[in-house]
Amino acid sequence: METPAIDIKGLTKSYGELKALNGVNISIKKGEFFGLLGPNGAGKTTTINILTGLVFKERGSTKVFGKDTIKDFRYTRSKIGIAAQEFSVDWFFPIEKLLFFQAGYYGIKPKDAKPLVDSLLNRLGLSSKRNSRLRQLSGGMKRRFQIAKALVHDPEILILDEPTAGVDVELRRDLWKYLQDLHSRGKTILLTTHYIEEAELLCENVAIIDNGKILKMGAPKELTRELGEAGITVVLENLNGLNKKDLENYKYTRDKNRLHFSIKDPDEELPKIIRVLSNAGLHIQKIESNKSSLEDVFLNLTGKGINE
Amino acid sequence: MNWVGLNTLIKREVGRFFAVYRQTVLPGLITTALYIAIFGFTLEQRISEIQGVPYTMFILPGLIMMNTLTNATSNTASSMLQMKLLQQLPDLLTAPLSGLEIALAYIIGGAVRGMVNGILVLLLGVFLIGMPVNNLFGTLMFIFLVSWAFSSMGLLLGQLAESWDQLAMMQNFFLTPLSFLGGIFYSIKMLPNWAQTLSYINPIYYMINGIRYTVLGVSDSEVEISILMAIVLTIGFTLASILLMQSGKKIKN
Repeated sequence: METPAIDIKGLTKSYGELKALNGVNISIKKGEFFGLLGPNGAGKTTTINILTGLVFKERGSTKVFGKDTIKDFRYTRSKIGIAAQEFSVDWFFPIEKLLFFQAGYYGIKPKDAKPLVDSLLNRLGLSSKRNSRLRQLSGGMKRRFQIAKALVHDPEILILDEPTAGVDVELRRDLWKYLQDLHSRGKTILLTTHYIEEAELLCENVAIIDNGKILKMGAPKELTRELGEAGITVVLENLNGLNKKDLENYKYTRDKNRLHFSIKDPDEELPKIIRVLSNAGLHIQKIESNKSSLEDVFLNLTGKGINE
Repeated sequence: MNWVGLNTLIKREVGRFFAVYRQTVLPGLITTALYIAIFGFTLEQRISEIQGVPYTMFILPGLIMMNTLTNATSNTASSMLQMKLLQQLPDLLTAPLSGLEIALAYIIGGAVRGMVNGILVLLLGVFLIGMPVNNLFGTLMFIFLVSWAFSSMGLLLGQLAESWDQLAMMQNFFLTPLSFLGGIFYSIKMLPNWAQTLSYINPIYYMINGIRYTVLGVSDSEVEISILMAIVLTIGFTLASILLMQSGKKIKN
């Protein structure tokens, strides 16, 4: 079996009375796009901060490509690039210089870092701002700079802590496209987010975390199928001839000439429902569906919405 | 050892204070020139000589030392606190840099600023009032040791401080009084006995008299004790700041 890119086992951490992490286990394969999904304060940032050496763990192990993140910190940190949620501020140096410094901390000399620095500035639309100070950049540019900084030593693993928090829709989509591009080129990506859409669109696997515990882990579609429920509304001409027994296997409610179904797998179940209704001689006028999402999964697991 | 990383962080630290030289280099020179002008034209009329040295010249080694140690201290202290408060520190703490490398880079950055300021004030004394330098090697060695020691101390303060207010308190209530009471402007022999005794527990007193000896050949303290004190302070503060950085206290959760 291939060594996981990131392997977290039994991780615990407390801040005074508050149990921030309570036995977190996560394994991320090389090349995987993985999402850590949870509300604010769930333990997402604490988990990645322990992984990257910013926070001391209490118990448990954190490994990167099989090496311990404390004993072999030089190896593990050189494999990781991190784009933090909080913007850093620097008053003294232009952003290009800051990227060279960042590469230097990872043992890369300026002349060796130059091609990647140029390419990142170009790709992230920061070329014309290379001589600007951070304070002169817009919020969106600062977010892109965070990502450039994380990638300047060409890490195998990219960790993004809420990368699209507070950015506009256009930039969010642009960043998603860029992350998908990086993933297609083999980067392992760990993303923390509380945006359901982001996790569903980008991640191959997600872990749902709340109150410092991983509640469920798997591919978004599988989780949705297992724990989510889609809403299907069938509007009929009338309900004359409907035998309750025909629909006894379904969860549904009636509202005049409408039937509201809650089903786990609409792709499989909807044709069956249509068949039952047609066989009963009912005329279907309209079908409306609300697709199940990770939001429903989260609701099912925690009893609350992700942004509550 | 991550040599490229260490070198990068040193360049960053040195580049940082040179980028704002109006705040970090020029003030010490201007203040010293003012001391020379004011004391030279006023007090020197009344205090002609101390230990056979004209008053303005007598105070200059002390001014070199004060500039050296305050600049070295404030460089590391303010840089570290600034990085903490502006969220820059995670860039270093998540990089493959050890606590030893981070501490050394900061100390070297602060020591360079201390030395630049100390040497510039020394040159000002030489060119402005024709101050002789009896032992150039010894003078430079003192400037180096004091820069290094107080740069390390500044790093300790910067790492432990949580606000600018705390840092200012340490500098205003601790460092500046000790510098002034270390005998910059007077010989401790001019003080009453109890005050002389108090001066002996002030480490800055030994630094000022050490450099005064290497520059002018006069001193209140034995030069050997001054050298020993400078070495002890340098080793002590260096070890303490490296250990504190490795512990991650106040910079990691």
